Amino acid sequence: MTNKWNRREFLQKTSAATLAAMAASAPLPSLLSSCTKKIGQTNGTADTVILLWMAGGMAHTETFDPKRYTPFEKGMEGNRVLSTFKSHPTVLDGIHFSEGLQSIGKVMDKGTLIRSYVAADLGHILHSRHQYNWHTCYEPPQTVAAPHIGAWIAKELGPKNPVIPAFIDIGQRFTVGEAEELKAFHTAGFLGNEFGPFFIPDPSQGLESVRPPVGMDVKRFERRNQLYNDLISNSAFGEFGSDYQKESLRRSMEQAYMLLNSPESKAFNLSTEPKESFDIYNTGRFGLGCLLARRLTEQGARFISVTTEYEPFFGWDTHENGHTRLVDMKKMIDGPIAQLIKDLDKSGHLDRTLIILASEFSRDMMVEGRPDAKVQEQVNQPEILSDMKFYGMHRHFTDGCSVLMFGGGIKRGFAYGKTADERPCKTIENPIKIDGLHQTIYHALGIPPDTQYEIEKRPFYTTPDGKGKAVMDLFA
Amino acid sequence: MSFKPVLTFITPFLPNTVQETTETFWLWLFLGRLHPLVVHFPIGLLCVAFVLELFDWRRKSNELQAGIKALVGIGAGSAVLAAIFGLFLINFEDYGGDTVSLHQWTGLTTMALSLAAVWALRSQKQQLFRGLLGITVLGVTVAGHYGALLTHGETYLTEVLPFNKSSKNEPSGSTNFTFASNGQPLNEQQLNELNVEVRSILAHNCYSCHGEAKTKGELRLDKKEFIFKGGEHGAIIVAGKPEKSEIIRRITLPVGHKEAMPTKGKRLSEKEVATLEFWIKQGAPWPNGPEKSIYRIAALEPRLPALPPATAEATQPIDRFVNAYFQQNKISWKGVVDDRTYIRRVYLDVIGLLPTPEAIQAFETDARPNKRKLLVTSLLNQNENYAQHWLTFWNDALRNDYSGTGYITGGRFDITKWLYASLKSNKPYNQFVKELISPTKESEGFIKGIKWRGTINASQRTEMQAAQNVAQVFLGLNLKCASCHDSFISDWKLEDAYAFANIFADSTLEIHRCDKPTGKMAGRRLLFKELGEIKESPVTAERLKELADFLVQPKDGRLYRTLVNRVWAQLMGRGIVEPVDMMDNAPWSQDLLDYLAYDFVQNGHDIKNLLYNILTSKTYQLPSIGIKDAGLLTSNDFVFQGMVRRRMSAEQFADAISSAFYPMYADSVMALKRLPETIKSEIPFPRASLVINDPFMTALGRPNRETVSTSRNSQANLLQALELTNGTKFNSTLKNGAIKWQAKYRTSDLLVKELYRKSLGRDPQPKELSVAQKIVGTKPSVEGIQDLVWAIALHPEFQLIY
Repeated sequence: MTNKWNRREFLQKTSAATLAAMAASAPLPSLLSSCTKKIGQTNGTADTVILLWMAGGMAHTETFDPKRYTPFEKGMEGNRVLSTFKSHPTVLDGIHFSEGLQSIGKVMDKGTLIRSYVAADLGHILHSRHQYNWHTCYEPPQTVAAPHIGAWIAKELGPKNPVIPAFIDIGQRFTVGEAEELKAFHTAGFLGNEFGPFFIPDPSQGLESVRPPVGMDVKRFERRNQLYNDLISNSAFGEFGSDYQKESLRRSMEQAYMLLNSPESKAFNLSTEPKESFDIYNTGRFGLGCLLARRLTEQGARFISVTTEYEPFFGWDTHENGHTRLVDMKKMIDGPIAQLIKDLDKSGHLDRTLIILASEFSRDMMVEGRPDAKVQEQVNQPEILSDMKFYGMHRHFTDGCSVLMFGGGIKRGFAYGKTADERPCKTIENPIKIDGLHQTIYHALGIPPDTQYEIEKRPFYTTPDGKGKAVMDLFA
Repeated sequence: MSFKPVLTFITPFLPNTVQETTETFWLWLFLGRLHPLVVHFPIGLLCVAFVLELFDWRRKSNELQAGIKALVGIGAGSAVLAAIFGLFLINFEDYGGDTVSLHQWTGLTTMALSLAAVWALRSQKQQLFRGLLGITVLGVTVAGHYGALLTHGETYLTEVLPFNKSSKNEPSGSTNFTFASNGQPLNEQQLNELNVEVRSILAHNCYSCHGEAKTKGELRLDKKEFIFKGGEHGAIIVAGKPEKSEIIRRITLPVGHKEAMPTKGKRLSEKEVATLEFWIKQGAPWPNGPEKSIYRIAALEPRLPALPPATAEATQPIDRFVNAYFQQNKISWKGVVDDRTYIRRVYLDVIGLLPTPEAIQAFETDARPNKRKLLVTSLLNQNENYAQHWLTFWNDALRNDYSGTGYITGGRFDITKWLYASLKSNKPYNQFVKELISPTKESEGFIKGIKWRGTINASQRTEMQAAQNVAQVFLGLNLKCASCHDSFISDWKLEDAYAFANIFADSTLEIHRCDKPTGKMAGRRLLFKELGEIKESPVTAERLKELADFLVQPKDGRLYRTLVNRVWAQLMGRGIVEPVDMMDNAPWSQDLLDYLAYDFVQNGHDIKNLLYNILTSKTYQLPSIGIKDAGLLTSNDFVFQGMVRRRMSAEQFADAISSAFYPMYADSVMALKRLPETIKSEIPFPRASLVINDPFMTALGRPNRETVSTSRNSQANLLQALELTNGTKFNSTLKNGAIKWQAKYRTSDLLVKELYRKSLGRDPQPKELSVAQKIVGTKPSVEGIQDLVWAIALHPEFQLIY
């Protein structure tokens, strides 16, 4: 159980060796190519996933699916406003992005724009509940602790590089409002802590999490580890023989030592990034998170989540001043994301790295929930806009959201799905729900759609009841 | 890979009618089915040819060449034939999947290679021939392997490997049914047994797709009437004729065949198939009258088993029952552990703390013969320490925490003050349960559940949470399946779950199946009707009072067996029944379980008394047992031989550091608002069970208490090791402690010895002392102390309860 990835790795190594031996003896037809995986490679089209999380509800009409622009005038009717920004053409024919996202617009030839994500209908809106649903594919509460998608991936595929934790979570602090609700899904749940997230709340401090403790130089760290091994080998406790707790403890300690002492851990150190490149990414913690994600991907990460960070009424969670605040949000994400795509494309990693940009739901100025199932309103939004602070998308809208996907076998330069051009700007073509999105990600990674574990004798699937189908149209 | 290119490749050789008619010409089918026969020729012949060729090569002769030539010729010819027949088989019968493709392409390649070998031999290119023949044999092996996977199943080869041993789940029903009566008509009892056997097979292999919740192909296999009715393609059983029964055809089709059943999961074992065939051959009998459950169901009522005779080894009741078990399993008693091991164990188990060096010394030098009993009594009398330790266990079980989801929207209530007081006063367990089910304001948090904002899945409404949690925690049974649809792992039905949940509901619940309303209203009844009938009352509190009274009656043996088993598992590292939430599973000793539960009720539902009886038994004092693989812990073939070594819980570990070295936590991180006001005067230091959850605790296995959690994982992992190796919480504790210790102990000799005594309860051995002194330095340095404490804290001897 514990040595799952060890064994898998062993098998991969040995089967690769066998095949290499065979190949050396004769030119072998490519018929066995599906077995000749490189270590860490999956059966799918992607080996690594980067989730760029737009926490707090990113309005589609203000970002990747802009509608008619109506500038602010005092006393204007809110219902007339679909977008509060001008839009700009992207490199794709007929596709425009809202102002402030031009850099991402320029790399859209490397990815796919999905305009038809439909979030779950969970009644009276609570951000963390929708986020729980997005990240686990299950609606809380659940009878057993549901695993985060990163934990599923860690469990199924293990780390890509043994010294880099399989599930890395960058940017979220748990000292904010709704922190307990956030913790409830930032977990491996019943899969076990082993597959849980490795948190790096502040990417500029990433190195701290993977280097010897503060104030301890490498020499002392190594000496300490040596002491530990000496004490164990000189202890009479060895006579108790081996048991799994003891073995797992020793093995984990060795892994930790390996990681903290590995050359790969330098990837966590952003200060070694060339200044020019560092500056492009440095728009704050999110931008540096993208940089860290890029560096870790290059060293063999499996699943990385980078968030703009959720904190009630901050970030994308605009209950007022929506327009003004989005100017800043776009500044925060546009440069780093575009650079991330370009860098990974240039280094060749994009081919097998699936990047997803998503949010728990969208926003609208008028509709709370979805047009045909409105829910209890939470935002005091007047019908006549007397003040600039009311100019923006302040209500929570679940019926049409944008998702971007790049790399990992996804089509390049493609747009999928559509929302209406008039309010309600809801999905009118090719709706995708959360289980479809998850299965698409699993498909890219070669994880079978009916993957499940028995917990308390009941099957628990990656997506509820094993339903949900990968959207094959998205794959190249 | 698709089959299309192959079809076009062979199409010219086939009559045109093939693709148009729905019925395939019989000869193609027949030839196709000859494939498994014919393939054995190339396999055998080519391999032998290769071996002979090797002989010739070694001996540098060519005396075997004539034979080799013949073998290779026939081998290659039969390979061509096998390939053609194989293509018939794939294309005219429904095959699909990766394994089929792999088999197909490796097979075709092998055929080509064998032809090339023939050609090389004829052209007298001996070297090339040898090489080609070698590769051909490799190809035959690979192709043959995939072929074998198709016929025998993907796991056929690997399932017997040692590390896959436990992966095959045998049905829990009566698996020992044998065809003893072959030839003679079955008697009534045999008919019943056969019926149970058949239903078990269907339940374990088919219900999940052919049941009430999911009915694929319009076929249900979970009830007599549906089984005989059949599915969208008609009847599936022809009584007396297994060979004509669709169900047999489907389950015996090779893996990969599109019509093979089950489509997901493991295929049926040969024994299971044989049982179904036998049953159909017997005329598919189905006795009338009430059906016997196909699941093991534990008795509800209490039972007092006869006490086995006392022996020199075993005098008190627990030991006498264990002695009987040992005799049965041919296990002999080992000597009890020494004083030092014993005192460490009971300290950790009763109050969750390490014994101080002074306590250990006093205990070791104590000459009184009954000193172990006296020690247990004195520990059990430390009411506050006891409560602070057991609070962790009950917080997990009652999913009570100081922070968590739900509080933010007023959808959750904690029960900490009530729980702490109940543990401190050792509240009788029947009273304890009553107050949780029929609660006051202070204890209502458990049945009130966690309510998130928004609309909730019907199976997770708070009343259903109450039903599930009460069933799990107090009765050791799983109602989670049945709260959505009729369970296919037990006999619990959707209506049972709703009727039970409805007791907790202020207004009558409408039954929802898989979150869809059925229009039916729920009844109101207990899960076990033997315990009583709930009176229809509009007042929820009245119903809950009645429910609580019914559940804690002495005749509810299940409630008490569940409790004593949980306590046993806490002390022994493994329950008498496992998992501890599945009390219908077989115990390793029914007598011991029944006795403990019976005795518990007789002695006033007194948990401390139960603890005393176990902790003073010789059984508890046996040397601990190591388990190689965590999976073996819950396996059915577990044999009890003594306490299973456990790892300290997160709380025990933190408290051990706090008491042996330096406090891990400050007063300020305790959940003071939720704890009794007097708490600060009742603690030796801020104990980990009282602090708000943090990343350190989480990494060491404290659950997030969103759901009931009744056992913790004892296994270490990388994230945990990282938290311990460079986590700020732990390292800052070590550093602050090191500064204190440096000031106090001037020589490394003194310091190391004191540290060993406090943390491991013993003096360091000379070798350990010298290793430790090297690190600490002759004049202890802060860094050295810090590193030594770190190494000891991560030592298995420190972390394990042994």
